[in-house]
Amino acid sequence: MVEEKIIKEIKFGILSPDEIRKMSVTAIVTSELYDEDGRPVPGGLMDPRLGAIAPGQVCMTCGNDAKTCPGHFGHIELARPVIHVGFAKYIHDILRATCRRCGRVLLPEAELKRYLRLLDRLEERWPLLAKLLVTVVKKKASKVTECPHCGERQYKIVFDKPYTFYEDRPEGRIQLTPLEIRTRLERIPNDDVRLLGLDPQSARPEWMVLTVLPVPPVHVRPSIVLETGIHAEDDLTHKLADIVRTNERLRELLDSGAPQTLIDEHWALLQYHVATYIDNELPRIPVARHRGGRPLKGLAQRLKGKEGRFRGNLSGKRVDYSARTVISPDPNISINEVGVPVEIAKILTVRVPVTSWNIEEMRRYVLNGPDKWPGANYVIRSDGRKIDLRYADRKRIAEMLEPGWFVERHLRDGDIVLFNRQPSLHRMSIMAHIVKVLPGKTFRLNLLVCPPYNADFDGDEMNLHVPRTEEAQAEARELMLVQYHILSPRYGGPIIGGLQDYISGAYLLTSKATLLSIEDVVDLLSAAGYRGEIPEPAILSPKKRWTGKQLVSLFLPKEFNFRGKARVSAGIFACENEWCWNDSFITIKKGELLTGVLDKKAVGAEQPENMMHWLIKEYGTDYARYVYDHMFKMFIRFIEKRGFTMTIDDVALPPEAKEKIREVLKEAEKKVYELIEIYKQGKLEPVPGRTLEESLELRILDVLSEARKKVEDITVNYLDPFNNVFIMARTGARGNELNITQMAALLGQQSVRGERIHRGYLGRFLPHFKPGDLGPAARGFVYSSFYDGLSPVEVFFHAAGGREGLVDTAVRTSQSGYMQRRLINALQDLRVEYDGTVRTPYGELVQFVYGEDGVDPMKSAHGKAVNIDREIERVIGWRV
Amino acid sequence: MSSLLTSWEELKKEIHDMLEYARGKLPKRIYEELESKLQKTTEEYGLAPEEARKIIEYVLSEYEYSMVEPGEPVGTVAAQSIGEPGTQMTLRTFHYAGIREFNVTLGLPRFIELVDARREPSTPIMYIYLDEEHKYDENKAKEVARRIEFTRVSNVASEIDIDLVNLRIVVRLDPVMLEDKGVTVDQVKKVLEKLKLGKVEQDPSDPLTLYIQLELGESFSLMELQKKREKVLNAKIKGIKKIRRVIIQSMTNEEGRTEYFLVTEGSNLKEVLNVPGVDPKRVYTNNIHEIEEVLGIEAARAALIREMKDVLDEQGLDVDIRHIILVADIMTATGRVRQIGRHGVSGEKPSPLARAAFEMTTQNLFAAAARGEVDKLKGITESVIAGRVIGVGTGMVEVRMNPAQVVKSMKGVEEEASGGGN
Amino acid sequence: MAKQKKKFNILEHELVPRHEIVPPDEAIRILRELNIRPEQLPWLRVTDPVAREIGAKPGDIVRIYRKSPTAGEIVVYRYVVGY
Repeated sequence: MVEEKIIKEIKFGILSPDEIRKMSVTAIVTSELYDEDGRPVPGGLMDPRLGAIAPGQVCMTCGNDAKTCPGHFGHIELARPVIHVGFAKYIHDILRATCRRCGRVLLPEAELKRYLRLLDRLEERWPLLAKLLVTVVKKKASKVTECPHCGERQYKIVFDKPYTFYEDRPEGRIQLTPLEIRTRLERIPNDDVRLLGLDPQSARPEWMVLTVLPVPPVHVRPSIVLETGIHAEDDLTHKLADIVRTNERLRELLDSGAPQTLIDEHWALLQYHVATYIDNELPRIPVARHRGGRPLKGLAQRLKGKEGRFRGNLSGKRVDYSARTVISPDPNISINEVGVPVEIAKILTVRVPVTSWNIEEMRRYVLNGPDKWPGANYVIRSDGRKIDLRYADRKRIAEMLEPGWFVERHLRDGDIVLFNRQPSLHRMSIMAHIVKVLPGKTFRLNLLVCPPYNADFDGDEMNLHVPRTEEAQAEARELMLVQYHILSPRYGGPIIGGLQDYISGAYLLTSKATLLSIEDVVDLLSAAGYRGEIPEPAILSPKKRWTGKQLVSLFLPKEFNFRGKARVSAGIFACENEWCWNDSFITIKKGELLTGVLDKKAVGAEQPENMMHWLIKEYGTDYARYVYDHMFKMFIRFIEKRGFTMTIDDVALPPEAKEKIREVLKEAEKKVYELIEIYKQGKLEPVPGRTLEESLELRILDVLSEARKKVEDITVNYLDPFNNVFIMARTGARGNELNITQMAALLGQQSVRGERIHRGYLGRFLPHFKPGDLGPAARGFVYSSFYDGLSPVEVFFHAAGGREGLVDTAVRTSQSGYMQRRLINALQDLRVEYDGTVRTPYGELVQFVYGEDGVDPMKSAHGKAVNIDREIERVIGWRV
Repeated sequence: MSSLLTSWEELKKEIHDMLEYARGKLPKRIYEELESKLQKTTEEYGLAPEEARKIIEYVLSEYEYSMVEPGEPVGTVAAQSIGEPGTQMTLRTFHYAGIREFNVTLGLPRFIELVDARREPSTPIMYIYLDEEHKYDENKAKEVARRIEFTRVSNVASEIDIDLVNLRIVVRLDPVMLEDKGVTVDQVKKVLEKLKLGKVEQDPSDPLTLYIQLELGESFSLMELQKKREKVLNAKIKGIKKIRRVIIQSMTNEEGRTEYFLVTEGSNLKEVLNVPGVDPKRVYTNNIHEIEEVLGIEAARAALIREMKDVLDEQGLDVDIRHIILVADIMTATGRVRQIGRHGVSGEKPSPLARAAFEMTTQNLFAAAARGEVDKLKGITESVIAGRVIGVGTGMVEVRMNPAQVVKSMKGVEEEASGGGN
Repeated sequence: MAKQKKKFNILEHELVPRHEIVPPDEAIRILRELNIRPEQLPWLRVTDPVAREIGAKPGDIVRIYRKSPTAGEIVVYRYVVGY
């Protein structure tokens, strides 16, 4: 076993030529990779001394096999030095700030001393300010034209990106070769190097000009053997081969005393190859390409970007013990549970140590093997050897099993897993669930946990992860379980709660009109899993009848008091207190729901300071889970029994109402044409700061939206408030009054960019209108409703408006995603210390008390530390 | 059960000890709220001493429960709480409630602008409140508005032509605009004279027409004339630079009176503060950088919180203020307003790995190499990269023991024990 | 005349909380209480208009009485830095 070590810190620096040679196992001298027999050529880029990668191969350098050999570097002695493109910017800064003859920073000695002392002090305590000082020094020094140390005249250094330097001498612009640059850099003393912001110990400036190039081990650039038996080499290998080839050619030319122009040409080519090897997306030079025309991946490309080494492999990693499939609803399991298909449970495993207490159980699992659930896939012996139960004699292994061994057993009921849906926008996007293995091929989850995941069942898929260590399992169970995330830290209120049919069901069950027979009561309570006495019926004669409120009360704590308006308390159903016929004011006294109906405000998701919120806060998450699992089950059981649907008649308006609507619209239309007339006469008073056309549009929009509002009132008045569509809108289960108006009465104004739709043909949207027609119909006012059906022209308007919405959403997700990434990156290191302050890991203080009052928003009462009104109500609510 | 008391004084005596205890435990603000609400309840419904005790007990335990726990990753939670509803924000600019005269950037674009710490908002706006003398009178408010609004000759002229025959520039003023901007012909004349282009004369027959007799050399080009015309067009008559438009709004203030205030398109805090008639204490702009420059970092922080909260509120998104405060605090921690991103907070992190993992990977690595930087692997990203336990939440716990200290304290205990024995 | 007042004093603006320079002995006590080095406090630049107004020098610690939406009024500190 390899000893485990913890990395304490990482030092960055530039490799010196000596270091490169020292860590190299061989010089690479030939661009050939394999000989005729297909064996790697010694001194080539696939030299076996660079490390073993083939299974069974033993490394010639370290003697390890392919699995444990870490790989070894080689090197290329460059015939002539070349600039390291990554540091070209720094080379430029340094050349400008130092003397071309003596190598000192171009500032008087005394000033240098002073700056150095300041730098010493700053580096210790103010790293941020040290950076600032360096820029000041650089700026000052680069303006000097005569060296204060040796009196040499300085010339302007021109940097031609990405790696060429010129000097503007009196005789003209002359290119500086890397050789010259290197000698200049060598002359700079260490102290001066520090003033330029470099660390002379780990990054001497001359090391930025490469004389020796390290060659990474083969592990970094493995070749792929295609089915045809041909080796396909990695991009880096190709690039390195180019470098070696050019290098050897250049060396030959130098040795044979070739003409200078030819040498320069090859030198430039070597520079190009080395530069593109490091970064193949350099500006102003051609991209190095594969034979097929595909750009080669340089070292920089491997690290960069979303799929690069950093973001793709280091910050985020691929994991084992995970599963992904479609999700589907199951109201019968607890909010804490997740239904896992048997097929998945047979692949995901948990490693369990064999003890004398569980050995029999483990034997059973081993005997069941990998194909029969609940079984096991592997057994790990005490010496660490892993036995695959697919191919082993399971009976024998079951007998051999002893404490100290481990069994990789199948996932089974009661195991803890992490469940996740992307995009993971907040911490409730990954929560721990308890496994319930079920037949089928989908993950099942309780509908109440849809809001935190933002999940629906139109084909959504989710991921599941099995925590491996006991420590991780314990943390998942104690901190990440769904019931600990009912309250959202975003606003301090419940994020888990009823939606859609749960709300309609709760409303219908608790409404005054609902009277239940004994059969109904028994059925509802058994569906909810209630164990206990059935209360006295509310109506004894002529028949025994119970109210829905009685059933709800069975699930409330005996001391619970609550008063509050229901959501349906609006318009004609408004209630100000419990003495109200409309039954829209919730009164709970001593755990008895006396008046009011439960709707979105009481049981819905994302409704802070409601009944559920106080239940959770005051009676704990275990109790909250109980309510969500049981009482809520009763709501949907009730709506199942009653039946709940929608008919087209729900949005049918009587002719009388249609007539009224027509009146309203006619009037609005008249007003619009009046406005247009005034506008055409040029008498329209402009809104200050707006053009006449804009003012007209604003006025027309006002008139039309006012008309739509009036129509909405008429519609709402004429529809039966107890038809199912309206019930859904009133209780907040689904839809709103605007939606109903659009179905029953009219769609109203369609808009693009907040304006009436006018673009399309010259002066008109569609050729059906006269150019310059400013009337409502010509600019996207849709008179028809979904009930009546839209005219073809109206369909186009509606489509134009609808498309804008789609585009908007698409653009928004990418923008807000990037904003969130930046926010997370900027803030993620902050934590609350033991003294209550908020600090960065480096001890910098950000807040003296978190949130200025030390209150955790998740544990707050909708932002307040304590809601005193509620605490008073809690105690005396039963009598007032 | 003892009887209900309806006198607060009586009840106060009964539960004096409990109240004192609560006073010591609770922050002043919560305690005061508790006391006043208890009093109100007593007088309204009556309260038994046991009930009052119970309420206080609940308040105390709720307060204690609501405190943050050490190790809580408040930064991540804040970022998530602000980022998650970002998907629900609108993209377009809207006419602001009440102000239809100009557009205001709201929603996601405005929020991004704020966390980016842009120099200049895309729609700079100022809210200028007026002093006692001017705030209750619309005409006086208008007076101040005219002082502020930047007015150029082109704003009040209907025509500005070059008369090539007489070599003069003809400026025809628009009486409506003059009235609207509160400018007199004389004022314009003075401004034109100041330009020193030539003698300015009023047309004897039409007082609204001014001539500028140009003094030109022997040879002149049309270009020259055009330039001079431009100069006339842009000549400032009055007002404050950058304030393009001023609108007078009214509201009902705390005293129940109708108060007039000004809303401007464009922002120039520094100069508006010293305009007579303005109440400088309440002048507000949505340009955070201007506030930082003129009023300092603390004011910028307050404005940042206000702006971010306003955007979220306007969108109807419920986000706890503490998350916003934290963002504002980290943005202003170094004494200037820093961007949330690579040129600000993220770019100034000491860890090269964290910077490389965020943006500009290779540049950051090269910089770290050149400077010989050391990564202490203390942050979250670095820990993940190096495979260490991250330093928040349960990963925060580090048990450290100083053996020498332990020996010392053990000795103390032993001595005490033996001393007690004697 | 009241109207003839000179430049507006920014310390009176409603957005600017009260700032005051902390005497050195108290500053040391505060730093010890927070177990912190001064440069780890939030910074206040000497060029900050408020710092100039109250005459803070680099190295000073400034106490700020902030209005807080959550806690009423709270006291925070900033370390004056010369940049």
